[in-house]
Amino acid sequence: MNPWAALNTLRTRIVLGEAALVVGLVVVAVIGIGALRTVRNTVARELASLTAVSAANSRLVTTLFEQVRAAEQYLTDGSVEARNAFRSGGEAAHTYQRRLQALSELSESDRLVVTQVGVLQAEAEVLYSFAHAQQDLGRRGDAQSGARLARERATEMLRLVDLLSLSQSVGAEATATSLEQAATDREMLVWTVLVASVLIAVAIGVATLQSVERPLTRLAAAARRFGDGDLRPVALGKMPSELAELGEALDRLGGTLRTLVTEVVEESERIASAAEDLSAISEQLAATSGDVSTAMEELSSGAQRQVAGLDESCAAAQTLHETTEDAGHVSSRVAELGADIHQLAETYGSDIDAAGNTLVELGNLVQRTARQVEELDELSEPIYEFIDLIKQISSQTNLLALNAAIEAARAGERGVGFSVVAEEVRQLADTSAQAAERVSGTITTIRDHVSAMTETMATGRAQARGVGAVSQGAAEALRQIVTSVREVETESRRVAGQAAQNLTAVDNITRALKSASQAAQSHASSSEEVAAAAQEQGASTEEMAAQAAVLNRAAEHLRSLVKAFRA
Amino acid sequence: MLLVTVGLTLAACGSSDEPILIGLAGPFSQQRAQSMQLAAQLAVSEINQQGGVRGRPLQLVVHDDSGMADIAVRVARTLHADPDVVAVVGHMNSGATLAAARVYNSGDNPLVEISPSASSPDLSDAGPYTFRVCPSDSIHGIQLAEWARDQLGANRVAILYENDAYGRGLRTTFKNSFTERGGQIVSDDPFSNILPSFEPYLTRIRSRGGADVVLFAGARDGAEEMLRTLNMIRYQPTVLGGDGAAGIETADIDTEGVYVSLAYLHDQPGARNEAFTSAYRRIYGGQLPDHRGAGAYDAVYLLARAIESVGVNRARVRDYLAGVGDETEPYDGVTGSIAFAANGDVVDRDVVIAIVRNKRLESVAR
Repeated sequence: MNPWAALNTLRTRIVLGEAALVVGLVVVAVIGIGALRTVRNTVARELASLTAVSAANSRLVTTLFEQVRAAEQYLTDGSVEARNAFRSGGEAAHTYQRRLQALSELSESDRLVVTQVGVLQAEAEVLYSFAHAQQDLGRRGDAQSGARLARERATEMLRLVDLLSLSQSVGAEATATSLEQAATDREMLVWTVLVASVLIAVAIGVATLQSVERPLTRLAAAARRFGDGDLRPVALGKMPSELAELGEALDRLGGTLRTLVTEVVEESERIASAAEDLSAISEQLAATSGDVSTAMEELSSGAQRQVAGLDESCAAAQTLHETTEDAGHVSSRVAELGADIHQLAETYGSDIDAAGNTLVELGNLVQRTARQVEELDELSEPIYEFIDLIKQISSQTNLLALNAAIEAARAGERGVGFSVVAEEVRQLADTSAQAAERVSGTITTIRDHVSAMTETMATGRAQARGVGAVSQGAAEALRQIVTSVREVETESRRVAGQAAQNLTAVDNITRALKSASQAAQSHASSSEEVAAAAQEQGASTEEMAAQAAVLNRAAEHLRSLVKAFRA
Repeated sequence: MLLVTVGLTLAACGSSDEPILIGLAGPFSQQRAQSMQLAAQLAVSEINQQGGVRGRPLQLVVHDDSGMADIAVRVARTLHADPDVVAVVGHMNSGATLAAARVYNSGDNPLVEISPSASSPDLSDAGPYTFRVCPSDSIHGIQLAEWARDQLGANRVAILYENDAYGRGLRTTFKNSFTERGGQIVSDDPFSNILPSFEPYLTRIRSRGGADVVLFAGARDGAEEMLRTLNMIRYQPTVLGGDGAAGIETADIDTEGVYVSLAYLHDQPGARNEAFTSAYRRIYGGQLPDHRGAGAYDAVYLLARAIESVGVNRARVRDYLAGVGDETEPYDGVTGSIAFAANGDVVDRDVVIAIVRNKRLESVAR
């Protein structure tokens, strides 16, 4: 199985899109938390280092000032306190210098300054001690000149100490700047990752929506076309596997419908032409039966007239002879036509039977098609599930974005940008929900079309059943026609036979006029019988014509039904 | 022919001919550091004559730190930054050694320093890469105080200390030890090369009842100046100096009877020392090594032994040195048996008390 095939399903695409968004948000969160932690740790470390250095520094400054102050005081009052303060201040200053030097946090340039301060302090200490010794020996002038030298060192030393404090504040500033820079860098990174993940999620989301919407639109168009009766094959193109299944089902349905409609059209054409033929023959038959009837009536009245005018001449007998001969011919003609009808009816009978069978098959086909349409309807269910999934994820994303917005609001000014992104994410979720809603609408439209098609199918099935009933009726009518024709044949033969007998009788009349009246009597009654039979035949023929007309109408109806389809 | 050339080139490309670099840092422009440099060079040439270390010659990278803390820091940075420098012999004085120790002990690849003569007590805690082959000032201070109180019977001592790490360290340990033993410190004055004159200090000592002993805690130049001043004002207390004052015996003044505490004296007994002093005397025209020279000589040999054992990796050399006397046998050097304590100090080492006689230092039997 091709591993890329899994990528071609809606589920995978949606899951991938959401996963990209979630992973992006997680990365942003991790970087954000890490950045905050780093900044916090760095601030703590830098503050600790600054505190340590500035504490040692301020103690050093204090003791240095104290020592200089004590040295100057000793020069003024020569007190033991001042001397001791000078000594202890010096020792404390040396100690703090060592401590400051031992701090690893001290920068190299500051370390050099501290070393320089130590050198100057040592020199000032030596010069003050020298001045003090001169003072102790009562050499005030030498003491003052020594003190001047000491003060030069002390001034320079205190200047350097100031410089040290300044450098520390500059260092603090530099630290703050570097912290700010680090924070800004992290912020930029967070923004970059955030924007990238949102873009990726949007791209995947848009691609997924398009891959759903476009095939769905094509499927809807195809279904609509089928519903309108245009059954020509449709090109559906590439689409996700779930929709491709739907497309295949639609395609199969179209194929089946096409086959079915083609057959129905052909069959209805054949039925219509058969009904037309039948109708024409029936009309001919009816006309012929009318002739027979007229002839018989003439015959009958002729015979009656013969009975009444028995005394009339041989010419009348001759006329009778001719008339009887005519009746015989007509009867023979009727018998021939009857045989024709018989043959025709049998031929069409089997045709109509075949048509009936075809219609039954057609009914089955319609039923199968109806089932396929129902399957089509069922197939749209999973798509509804996907839409639900999309809606669910959208609402959760919406909730996430809301939470993010709340957190951003809580984060204050730093979170302003983040809240904008949260709003974007929330809008993206809304857009997803709307798109899902649109997809849902499209699916509903498809379903409506499908159910319309189902109804059309049901109607078609009912109509097919109607056509079946009509064709059965036609078959029944044909059978009745055959029976009637048989009766007409029998009667015709009887008429022909009677006519022959009559002819013999007329001949006999010519030869024996005496019994003519009696014979004419019987002849007249025979003629009446024949007329009745001919009338009976005429009724059967009319019935047959009516049935043929029914068949013709059914064929017309069928033709109009299938005319809507374009195979 | 071509093959031979290629083979020779390959051999040359290997590490066999490239020297192993060892830093040597001290105030070599000054007289007091002469012996340190000469003895270190003697050790290196001896080692190279015997085939070098791991088949490679040793080479000294000499830097002058002027004995100043700030210059020593610069020198230390240069050496520390050169990855080919395996270790440093130096610095000479405590102030420079302490300042440099912070550089040597820092960074990803710290560098061993072995001071031949820096004796400040502060150096004990300077870091794991800082060693010294001499006893600390606390030992000097304690043993000088013992000598002054017990052997010289001094009650009143005046201290003149050089206002640097060395001078303050020696002064503090002496002061504590001497007062513990019931002695009295009558004065305690700082000096440095900026001091216009020792005269006010010395006059004040004399005018306030004098001192049995003047302890001089400082370098040789200051000691010479002080002795000159004493002669000038005709005041003759017993003068006791720390090892910083060594070399004073050759000064162009009367230094007879001045006591000096030393980590080492050339007349120390021992075959190693005899061989060293005779070689030194032969090569350097009859001169004798001082304690700094002897310390530097021992430091170079110690490093050579360490590199021979563990290679040129700085951290491994440090670990090897830390284990001398513990994981490996103590090193039998010219200054005595060397074993390192955990803080990099040499353990169980007595100082030598010497007296100047006829412009020569002689050990004084205790």
